[in-house]
Amino acid sequence: MMTGTMPLDDVRIIDLTQTTIGPFCTRMLGDYGADVIKIERPGTGDPARTMPPFFNDEPGIERSGLFLFLNTNKRSVTVDLESERGRQIIRQLVENADVLVENFAPGVMGEMGLGYEALTEVNPRIVVTSLSNYGQSGPYHDFAGTEINLYGMGGNMIASGDIDHEPVKTAGRMVNYHAGYVGALATTMSLHATEFLRDGIGEHLDVSVFETATHSIDSRLGRLMGYQHSGNVGTRPGRSAAVASGVFQCADGWFLITGTATFVHLVIKMIGMDELLEQPEWATVAERAKPERIDEFAAYLVPWMLERTKSEVRDACEAYGILGGPMNTIADLLSDPGFESRGYFQEIDHPTTGAIKYPGFHFTIHRDAEDGGPMPARRRAPLLGEHTDEVLSEGLGLSDDEISRLRAERVI
Amino acid sequence: MTTNGREPRSKLPLDGIRVLDITVVWAGPYSTMQLGDWGAEVIRVESTKYFAATTRGQMARPPKEVVEAQARAGGMGYPDNEAGERPWNRSAVFNAHGRNKRSVTIDLTSPEGQEAFERLIAASDGLIENNVPISMEKWGVTYERLSKINPRLIMVRMPAFGLAGPYKNYRTWGNHMEALSGHPLIRAYPNLSPEYAAGGVPADAAGGVGAAFAFTLGLRYRRRTGKGLMIEAPTAENFVPLLGEYVMDYTMNGRVRTQVGNEHWTNAPHNSYRCQGEDRWITVGVWNEEQWRSLCGLMRQENLVEDPRFIDMASRFENRHELDSTIGEWTGTRQPHWLVERLQAAGVPSGVVMNERDALEDRHLHERGFWHSLDHPEAGNYRHVGPAWKASQTPNDTPRRHAPLLGQDNEYVYKTVLGYTDDEYRDLEEKGQIGMDFAPEVP
Repeated sequence: MMTGTMPLDDVRIIDLTQTTIGPFCTRMLGDYGADVIKIERPGTGDPARTMPPFFNDEPGIERSGLFLFLNTNKRSVTVDLESERGRQIIRQLVENADVLVENFAPGVMGEMGLGYEALTEVNPRIVVTSLSNYGQSGPYHDFAGTEINLYGMGGNMIASGDIDHEPVKTAGRMVNYHAGYVGALATTMSLHATEFLRDGIGEHLDVSVFETATHSIDSRLGRLMGYQHSGNVGTRPGRSAAVASGVFQCADGWFLITGTATFVHLVIKMIGMDELLEQPEWATVAERAKPERIDEFAAYLVPWMLERTKSEVRDACEAYGILGGPMNTIADLLSDPGFESRGYFQEIDHPTTGAIKYPGFHFTIHRDAEDGGPMPARRRAPLLGEHTDEVLSEGLGLSDDEISRLRAERVI
Repeated sequence: MTTNGREPRSKLPLDGIRVLDITVVWAGPYSTMQLGDWGAEVIRVESTKYFAATTRGQMARPPKEVVEAQARAGGMGYPDNEAGERPWNRSAVFNAHGRNKRSVTIDLTSPEGQEAFERLIAASDGLIENNVPISMEKWGVTYERLSKINPRLIMVRMPAFGLAGPYKNYRTWGNHMEALSGHPLIRAYPNLSPEYAAGGVPADAAGGVGAAFAFTLGLRYRRRTGKGLMIEAPTAENFVPLLGEYVMDYTMNGRVRTQVGNEHWTNAPHNSYRCQGEDRWITVGVWNEEQWRSLCGLMRQENLVEDPRFIDMASRFENRHELDSTIGEWTGTRQPHWLVERLQAAGVPSGVVMNERDALEDRHLHERGFWHSLDHPEAGNYRHVGPAWKASQTPNDTPRRHAPLLGQDNEYVYKTVLGYTDDEYRDLEEKGQIGMDFAPEVP
């Protein structure tokens, strides 16, 4: 059992979220101790259960890798939110909860009789975190949107990729996860204020993907200021916009390096061309910043890179203090000596998949041995409805008979 | 703990919380920006003798060629591309993330500096840093030492890869740790060399959010246990879970996905499409049949609904390149905002690929009160983003203060917070520890 204190281990969260934005938020809160009660639709559950990748590529509600990694450290309770009895169960759960997180389209909670005002009547100290694409108000609040649309609007997509090709997004669902992460930060700050500054008065948080991306994924913030300074809108650079910078081919793959006029002297030393620094074209930072240096230096750097593996180049960059990283595949990442030596990836057992590796903790809380020592291991994602009985009987005091009746009525 | 010098409490959640900030570049500053936005008194501990590249600009005194190169490479340089007399107070990126923070100059390499630093640690709640661990050790910025001075200190450390391990002192920015973690190779175009792969630093943004979250958790931990806490938040470890489904596809199925670009796992159309105008684009991402039929209707190509190549999601995904050309022909002669207005009215998930001008003029962001103008004495008046979320009990008119000039708050920190006398202060000024300019020898 868990010993010592985790920051949120006295916090109960009613989690009405689904797919990616909200589950990422509650995943973060669960990792640091919160009791996350995930409410799922009876029979089918969170739609993320039907999204790829699937274990052995066979679809099934307990087989989605997306769902499995997003829902560790949570308990699953099935409740039909379309039934009045189901909504009553939610209100009862809220009575003894600290936080409710949801990512329905704006207005849906209200239609279900679970709007913020209604919930405060049940529990005035509840913090309600609403996550949505565009926010609870404003002209776009009911716009349709998916991850690529939101990145295009809020992120630096216009400046991502190559000028002669289309703007490209970040991988996977990164913009959604970013919003969920901000949601976890917002929730924790609001809990702090509710408990310690407001004598138990909770509040409603409005977190949107559009605004959290503008705020800013991808250094959007700096570019928004840069535009106001120069009047130049961002656009996609060519392959190499600065000296000794860009993606270069190595013996076994590709390598990303950032020299620029500020650091190119280190790259010159790394490739053993110190004498170059004595030539007037390379002697000063001002000279090194001239655009014609980009192609000149590529002529030296390209062959040097081609003769080395990306791991050799990485070692050299570290030795010379140069900013650079190998363009790894996920397979490279899982066998990377840096991550491996720290035991970063966590093996988690699951009835469908057996023990497989998951990405590790985002950050590590270093507690003294007397306070519990290392962080508690993650619990696997719940099977659909795995904790329905335990939460309804222990949490709400429902009898076995009552639970059976609810099940027969398909409320749970 | 001393409370001298704190601002009167208002209602922001972190009011009365003092956080020391030894952060550089982007991930660290973004974390303390989040804390400052919500009321923390963030004090940047800086030095007149050491310039951390890419924090207050690339160099303290960049030659004009460097300013021009910066303008060519993305335009995140200086107002009107003029570095000005004190360039370190005019950097676009710093002046964006520096808001709501204070700046004190302390030379951690001198005994006087170490004394001031120790006194400041004793008067603070937290410290956040994102430096190469070897530098922090050199300056004595370790939890082991600082927690003895202040056992209630919450310290969040954000090395690139960890405080221990073979990459401990491996120096990178977000984009390099993303490369090592697999992101740009997944993000690269499907049919082009990875040389064209997009850069960008979502790892830094996530690192900033993560460290702010970690600090807030630390506060709650301290409240409950009475003890401080050290939290290790390596930016790379914080980032890898954002690639979670790709990691799982590999550990479950052994599949290695690269060069995915804008492709979705199963859905099509899902891409960006060129529009009328210079470098204008929209994105469309269809996830059900109704949206697909609406899209065909808008394009006046109802025949596509029955076309066997596009008859269901699986067929559309298989024939996505043909589909993309068809949509591109329709969008290519139309304006992006015109297109998105109609697509949204028909319920098709879509959006303009917004450049900075679009964002600053966006009607939704305006109606939500997202932009705030702020004066900066050496850079000018510009618009800033507001807080990252809205909280019903917590009106937040952030940003409240412009990004600090170097050493702007020296008097406040030394005299008001730490109780230095005028004589002691003057002595440190003479030694160059207290100042508002980088030493002449700093490039």
